[in-house]
Amino acid sequence: MDPAAVLELEGIHVRGRGQPRLEGVSLRLRAGERVALLGPSGAGKSTLLAVANGLIAPDRGSLRWQGQERARRPRARRRQQRRIGTLWQDLRLIEELSVQQNLNAGRLAHWGWPRALLNLLLPLESDACAATLRRLDLDPALLDQPVSALSGGQRQRVALGRLLRQEPMLLLADEPLASLDPRLAGELLALLLAEGRAPRALLLSLHRPDLLAGFDRVVGLRTGRVQFDLPVGAVNPGLLAALYAGEAP
Amino acid sequence: MTTRERWAVALAGLLLIGLLPTACTPRTDGNAGADGATSEAARPNEKRVLRIGAIPDQNPEKLNRLYGLVADELSEQLEVPVRFVPVTDYTAAVSAFRTGDLDLVWFGGLTGVQAWLQKPGARALAQRDIDRSFHSVFIANPRSGLKPFEDQSGLQQLKGKRFTFGSESSTSGRLMPQYYLTQAGVALSDFAGGNPGFSGSHDALIALVQSGTYDAGVVNEEVWLSRLREGKVDTDQVVAIWRTPGYANYTWVVQPNLDEEYGRGFTERLEQAFTSLSPDNPRQAQILELFGAETFVPASNEQYEAIEAVGRQIGKIR
Amino acid sequence: MSAGVARADGGRPPGSRIAVAAPLWVLLPALVLVPLALLLPGLSHGGGWSLVGQFALAALRPSLDPLVLSSALRGLGVTVGMALLGWALSLVLGLMLGALSSRLVWRQCSGRLWPAELIRRLLALPRSIHELLWGLILLQLVGLQPAVAVLAIAIPFGALVARVVSDQLDALPTGSLEALRSGGVAAPAALLTALGPPLLPQVLSYGGYRLECALRSATLLGVFGLGGLGTELRLTLQSLLFNELWTGLWLLLAAMLLLERLVGWLRRRWTMPARLSLSPQAPAPNRHAAVNGNTSGVGRGGRELVLAVALLVPVLVAVAWNLEVDPRSLLRWQPLPPLPPADWGAVAALPWPTLVANTLSLTLLAAALAVGVAPLLLLLVRPWPLGRAAVQGLWALGRLWPPPLIALLLLFVLQPGVVTGALALALHNLGVLGRLLLESAEHRGETTEQALLSAGSGPRLALLYGRFSALARPYLAYGAYRGDVILRESVVVGLVGATGLGSQLLEALSSFAVDELAALMVVYAALTLLGEDLSDRLRRRLLAG
Repeated sequence: MDPAAVLELEGIHVRGRGQPRLEGVSLRLRAGERVALLGPSGAGKSTLLAVANGLIAPDRGSLRWQGQERARRPRARRRQQRRIGTLWQDLRLIEELSVQQNLNAGRLAHWGWPRALLNLLLPLESDACAATLRRLDLDPALLDQPVSALSGGQRQRVALGRLLRQEPMLLLADEPLASLDPRLAGELLALLLAEGRAPRALLLSLHRPDLLAGFDRVVGLRTGRVQFDLPVGAVNPGLLAALYAGEAP
Repeated sequence: MTTRERWAVALAGLLLIGLLPTACTPRTDGNAGADGATSEAARPNEKRVLRIGAIPDQNPEKLNRLYGLVADELSEQLEVPVRFVPVTDYTAAVSAFRTGDLDLVWFGGLTGVQAWLQKPGARALAQRDIDRSFHSVFIANPRSGLKPFEDQSGLQQLKGKRFTFGSESSTSGRLMPQYYLTQAGVALSDFAGGNPGFSGSHDALIALVQSGTYDAGVVNEEVWLSRLREGKVDTDQVVAIWRTPGYANYTWVVQPNLDEEYGRGFTERLEQAFTSLSPDNPRQAQILELFGAETFVPASNEQYEAIEAVGRQIGKIR
Repeated sequence: MSAGVARADGGRPPGSRIAVAAPLWVLLPALVLVPLALLLPGLSHGGGWSLVGQFALAALRPSLDPLVLSSALRGLGVTVGMALLGWALSLVLGLMLGALSSRLVWRQCSGRLWPAELIRRLLALPRSIHELLWGLILLQLVGLQPAVAVLAIAIPFGALVARVVSDQLDALPTGSLEALRSGGVAAPAALLTALGPPLLPQVLSYGGYRLECALRSATLLGVFGLGGLGTELRLTLQSLLFNELWTGLWLLLAAMLLLERLVGWLRRRWTMPARLSLSPQAPAPNRHAAVNGNTSGVGRGGRELVLAVALLVPVLVAVAWNLEVDPRSLLRWQPLPPLPPADWGAVAALPWPTLVANTLSLTLLAAALAVGVAPLLLLLVRPWPLGRAAVQGLWALGRLWPPPLIALLLLFVLQPGVVTGALALALHNLGVLGRLLLESAEHRGETTEQALLSAGSGPRLALLYGRFSALARPYLAYGAYRGDVILRESVVVGLVGATGLGSQLLEALSSFAVDELAALMVVYAALTLLGEDLSDRLRRRLLAG
């Protein structure tokens, strides 16, 4: 056990239909580490992230968050999950609610029923929410807007804002750049890399092996197995070609 | 395809849809006479099924058993096919009699009057010995504080209590009790909640009063006594508080046209079939026992003039 | 209903305005529980609980007496048969009348629009009268026979199907139709070719749902003496023969669940839209079509469909034969009874304002309860899979029980009146709404809920924020429609007394007071038409917003 590790996976195995979705995956993220997860579609990247944020219980292997074993009891596990923020590719914003209410959805795990209900009547913690927006280069005047009225780039940032409101130790992102134009993708990646500094850690999955520059490490995943786990400088075209073998470029 | 052809195709499609309902329904020429479901179309020289019915004032199992026996007995004596048609609802029974779907029905006093007012010529045929002077019993839950009384004016005690009748169109469970209540100066709006309840049946009524849902209610004396005998009443929880004066109640009511359908004298033979029921014959004894009667006696519409008057007075007969 | 979120306008500080956000809309109707909780103690009598206990215990020991069993089975056969026939007839009627009341069809065929409007308006009348009233009227006109129940279901259902079909027709994109027409194809053929295929899945989906409704209606008609299992259910309940009652109930439950499964399975197999998305104003994305690819689905579904129809026709004929349904007998009208001169003075003297007010409060109370309690229950049992199964079971029983029987059972512990009637209707409709809510919750907001769960939110809050947000509008829109249905249904709980127009109607019926009956029906129909219009407006607003 590594005291500085934010996330530790050892021999993780997740069954699938036919062949396993993850097979003996081990991975360690220490505070301040920003790791890119690479692999062709179907490699198991999303499954790995779902294991990392606690949605999927692995069939075998051990999982530790900040040195703590994944709790079996739902209540205890929810307490662990509070500090894990996930940025989803489809954002998963609540379209019917305002920006502020969406940001506050990141606090739900900390709030009891009274505050959660009150937030639906009179959105709470305006100052903290405004600060979050400013940090993401958004105008605090947006707080009252329904998220459905925002532009694509603004929505990305609000989703990131919800995650930051969680005050997470571990940032996970599932192909967040896939559907963005290059400029937006660059901006978002810069924000994510900045937020992923110590004491946090960042694990971000990418479909294509570009934009790797800001990361500390790269993990290659193929058919549910880790192919390589190397510092970003050690990744060479040959490794990548082997990782993506069989998939049209 | 030419335009004309297309029209033809479209038309054919529409026709098909239109014909569907006709295709879904069977041609019943073959079996109409045999089962009698389509009575009015029966041919004169075929033996039409005689359909008997009854108002549903007992549990269905008993109704089926009792009227099954009656059907067998009548069929044997009169040599015509007889079938019992169950009906759930007092009103539906009256309507079915008026529309000719039932030939012979065991009605209560009120429903009987409604039936022959709606079907002129129909008449009361026969009734049990006890029906000439029938009684209702007011019952109460002792926790309501109601005590038995002798004089009709004692009904005044019911003011402000939760009270329930039986079925809306029941003679012993609603009509006559309401008449006696009105006579004693108790209006329906005097009950707690401004309205009486309608329990739907005599058995449910006893249970509702016994459970304390209602403080008091009124029930057919025959049912009350038989439940007492069967030990189905918890006499700590429900007691009789007043017995009404006698009035004419249940009767068999018969359609006016049976002689034309089955031959002269048929209605008379039907009446005799009932009045000759004897405890010496095993099946007849069973029928009498299930009916709770010693014998059946001839009945006439005139016996029900009082019921008709009360029915008009309280608006159940227009 | 206010707009979902406060909009930023001008220099207003953020978050300073109170607004009810979408997830709460779903729960707001449940606030009616508060006054109800205050009212109920005054309405209840503890004594009846032993009866309710007996009733509940009897569920475990249904009577297995062969006589009871065979009579219940026969009753179930009659009920299912009546439902099937009424349903089939209503579909045929509905398709024809729907085409006839479609603006599009008239524009294409004759260029005139007014006949469509006229027919549409005329169809509102049969729709506004509950099938029970149709049944009782027909009973008076043609006598007691199986065809009465079939027709009583077919008339209002047919008018309902017609409305849905014409709405769907008029909402379909007309591109392919115009292409065909400009290519010289005659109107009827072009209409069939261009609009038939897109209309079919909608009609089938709605048709399947109507079949479930028909089974419920057929049971209800039985309760009022029109034959089938309903008859036995009511008689056994009123005679307190709970063990025999449960024999019938369990059989009915089995039949209902089987039918629902079958309809659901066919809906998925033939890639038809789910019910909640069935709104011409805002067609929701067709999930299944997107997954399976629409064309292949229709091709396979098409062949099976023809086969199913081909199988259905002989089944229907056999059923009709067995039930002795004879359409000719419907033509033999019975002479009406000698009517006394109408006493309009007495009719006018009825307490009309109270009757109408009671009917409306009954409807609102029942609708609010049904709409509000379903999501509340779902929220409460979210963390426990067993609790969810229990709630589903409760809903199935609610759907199964005809409201008048629920009302009779409630009478064991409650006073007769508006609240009791409303509770009975609410429990029944809760069963319908709850199932729908669960069904549609499966398709909406799943990923959002997951996102919240993965961030450590409790399962209830994740459901509230994640799913109910997306569900609010379509669910409440359906709730508005249900309110309209409840208004129409309020007549059936007239049994429990003092429930407004419904109980007055049943009383008039049992007194054969034709004048009073006619006046009550007219008022009832007017009220339902008004309610339908209101509920339509509300629904459109919800779905558009």
